[in-house]
Amino acid sequence: METNETGTSIGLRIVIVGHVDHGKSTLIGRLFYDTGSIPEVRYREIEATCKAQGRDFEFAYLMDALEEERDQNITIDTASTFFKTAKRPYVIIDAPGHKQFLKNMITGAAGADAAILLVDGAEGVREQTRRHAYVLSLLGIRQVIVAVNKLDSVGYDRATFHAVENDIRAFLHAVGIVPSFVIPISAREGENMAARLGHTPWYAGPTVLEALDTFDDAGVDDELPLRLPVQDVYMWDGRRIYAGRIESGSVRPGDPVIFQPSGKRTRIATVEKWGRPDLVTAGSGECVGVTTVDELFVERGEVIALADRLPVGAREIRASVFWLAENPLAAGKTYTLKLATAEVQATVVAIEERLDASTLEVVERNAASLHPAEVGTVLLSLKSDVAADRFEDNARLGRFVLEDGYHIGGGGIVRSLSDEAGIQGRRIDLERAFFDGDEGNLVDLSREGSDVEFDVSALFLDALSRGNRVLFRLRDASQVAPVARLAWSHSLGFEFARSGDRANIVLYAGKPPVTNPGGNGGGEISI
Amino acid sequence: MTDHLDALEAQSIYIFREAYRKFENLAMLYSIGKDSTTMIHLARKAFFGRIPFPLVHIDTNYKYPEMIAYRDRMAKEWDANLIVGQNREALAAGMGPDKGRLVCCEKLKTDGLSRIIEKHDFHGLFLGIRRDEEGSRAKERVFSPRDKNFEWAYKDQPPELWDQFNTNFAPGTHVRVHPILHWTELNIWEYIEREKIEICSLYFAKDGKRFRSLGCMPCTRPIESNAATVPEIIDELRTIKAPERAGRAQDQENAYAMQKLRAKGYM
Repeated sequence: METNETGTSIGLRIVIVGHVDHGKSTLIGRLFYDTGSIPEVRYREIEATCKAQGRDFEFAYLMDALEEERDQNITIDTASTFFKTAKRPYVIIDAPGHKQFLKNMITGAAGADAAILLVDGAEGVREQTRRHAYVLSLLGIRQVIVAVNKLDSVGYDRATFHAVENDIRAFLHAVGIVPSFVIPISAREGENMAARLGHTPWYAGPTVLEALDTFDDAGVDDELPLRLPVQDVYMWDGRRIYAGRIESGSVRPGDPVIFQPSGKRTRIATVEKWGRPDLVTAGSGECVGVTTVDELFVERGEVIALADRLPVGAREIRASVFWLAENPLAAGKTYTLKLATAEVQATVVAIEERLDASTLEVVERNAASLHPAEVGTVLLSLKSDVAADRFEDNARLGRFVLEDGYHIGGGGIVRSLSDEAGIQGRRIDLERAFFDGDEGNLVDLSREGSDVEFDVSALFLDALSRGNRVLFRLRDASQVAPVARLAWSHSLGFEFARSGDRANIVLYAGKPPVTNPGGNGGGEISI
Repeated sequence: MTDHLDALEAQSIYIFREAYRKFENLAMLYSIGKDSTTMIHLARKAFFGRIPFPLVHIDTNYKYPEMIAYRDRMAKEWDANLIVGQNREALAAGMGPDKGRLVCCEKLKTDGLSRIIEKHDFHGLFLGIRRDEEGSRAKERVFSPRDKNFEWAYKDQPPELWDQFNTNFAPGTHVRVHPILHWTELNIWEYIEREKIEICSLYFAKDGKRFRSLGCMPCTRPIESNAATVPEIIDELRTIKAPERAGRAQDQENAYAMQKLRAKGYM
């Protein structure tokens, strides 16, 4: 969240998703009403319309600005609207629930900092609830509120709420989302929206507005390595200016840089904006022009990075792809892949897995096509190198769209990538790691992702059973799960330890070694 | 990045540079209002002080004289290539709001614009519309294609995500690019204040009235206001509840006036 001296800001962008008829437009109308954000004129208009139709005030009409929506009683496209709490302004991106409108939901949700996932308390979790939750995870949205709506229709029954809560938590867990809050609400009556009306004395958490106010701007990241994709090259006043937006990191005059994927090296001469030709530094999110010490001939699509932390010049990409266009994504077909400012022809080598986005089950391996609203694991072969990162390492250079003809047909996030040598293995052969490791009994995962899998041999298990222990050096806590699965499936024990920003796991067979519980002398080992 | 105006500015610059790279023949629609004046300032930021495409003003012949004088003075100051378009045939035939406001807008603005686009073969046009202005604009994309007949298929818009815009189009498609779609009215005024952008005098209160949105004389009414400086306008907007375009008569013709106008190519 960026804030200026006067305390105003661009606003946190939130997307509201969920199954059709679970109450999105009503929730938005209620947020507007409760925060005093509806222009009086508009409120009176809606009131008059509803009165003329002989019905109660309908909050949903507020969002339904287009004629067709009012006729069909559904929301048809992404719309932005604005409201404010005492803390800050918000931009709401309304996302529709009907299946054929998924592309609008994705257009809206791709720009969001946070999401509200709505579930009808009486109907419970439905197909689109799960589908939308999965899309949130693919878009990298991690700040999620689940609002269990329409609880007035079930008498604010606590058990009903908890049953829905358990269902949705289980599904979200499977797609890697931990909801920040699960809130029992009635958007219609206003319970737990801006105020507590007293219908849910058994709920002690925040209201929806309070929950929103706890979120951070998911925006930009100065901590990641420099990524400055060249957007255009201007030859003005006899100078060659590389124009672009700093997607991550920061840049200074004098920095030694490499343009990827061409590998051309030089130093930054100047970092510029209009009227400010000699900036000392510029950081992520800023649109700048840079000039270089050496005269290079570099095109749009190359990425400026610091020499010691380069993106991969990728030739093959394995990605989670969601498809939106009418014409299915087809194996063997060539599309235009757009990643940051790069554009390249990309051939679908294989659709390795076709998933049911609402159950996460693999429906088909080596599928021929992905249909609209489907998700799959796709292997793409690029006609020329593109500078890219894995999504989990740097989201800004780890996501792309695929153009089919003249339209964006779908999007994807990079799971793994390779240069011309081939895809890097995500499977780790433990036998080799165990016997060949330079330091012995060490499996180094610090340069791997969180989706590692292990090949286990009899020889490896035999070594463990003879009392050998293996140390796994982790990159971060996300790798605990795969190692824990390994231990579980082979009845092994493990110990987790953290020192500084490094985490280690020791894997062993048989009984745990004697542990000093330390400090309070309790004598019990807690895990 | 230091504040929200920097973030908004950066997004607009990104859009400008993307369009400039992708389209051969671009122009910017200049309405003389605060939004398109701010948009010009942002273009100069994107292109290091230049405006590397012509500005197009569609003159309905019903504009306030202050607007025209301001337009001509600023175009000189910016060293801009200003193209003024007018639907003379329709004016000669007596077109005016007395023939019906929506018909008048369609003839003098929409048709006037399409003639200019055809004459100069513009492939892309920058427009200073914002999502918070009114309902149908809220549903716009940043890169918004119009077909050969100038029409907006708002029910079937291609997706736009992660700042990957639809930049490749079928021949004959004309694209509207909206660099300030994500700004609000308040943001515009905060930015005008910060950047000291000179805007048309009609926005500032005189005798208890000022214009909040500029248009044609017969169809634009001022609001009651004593805000005579930019900071006073910012203060006023923080509490005002009436919509920005309440003083624009064509919007109020019927419930879907703007949507109907815009589906046919209105700004």
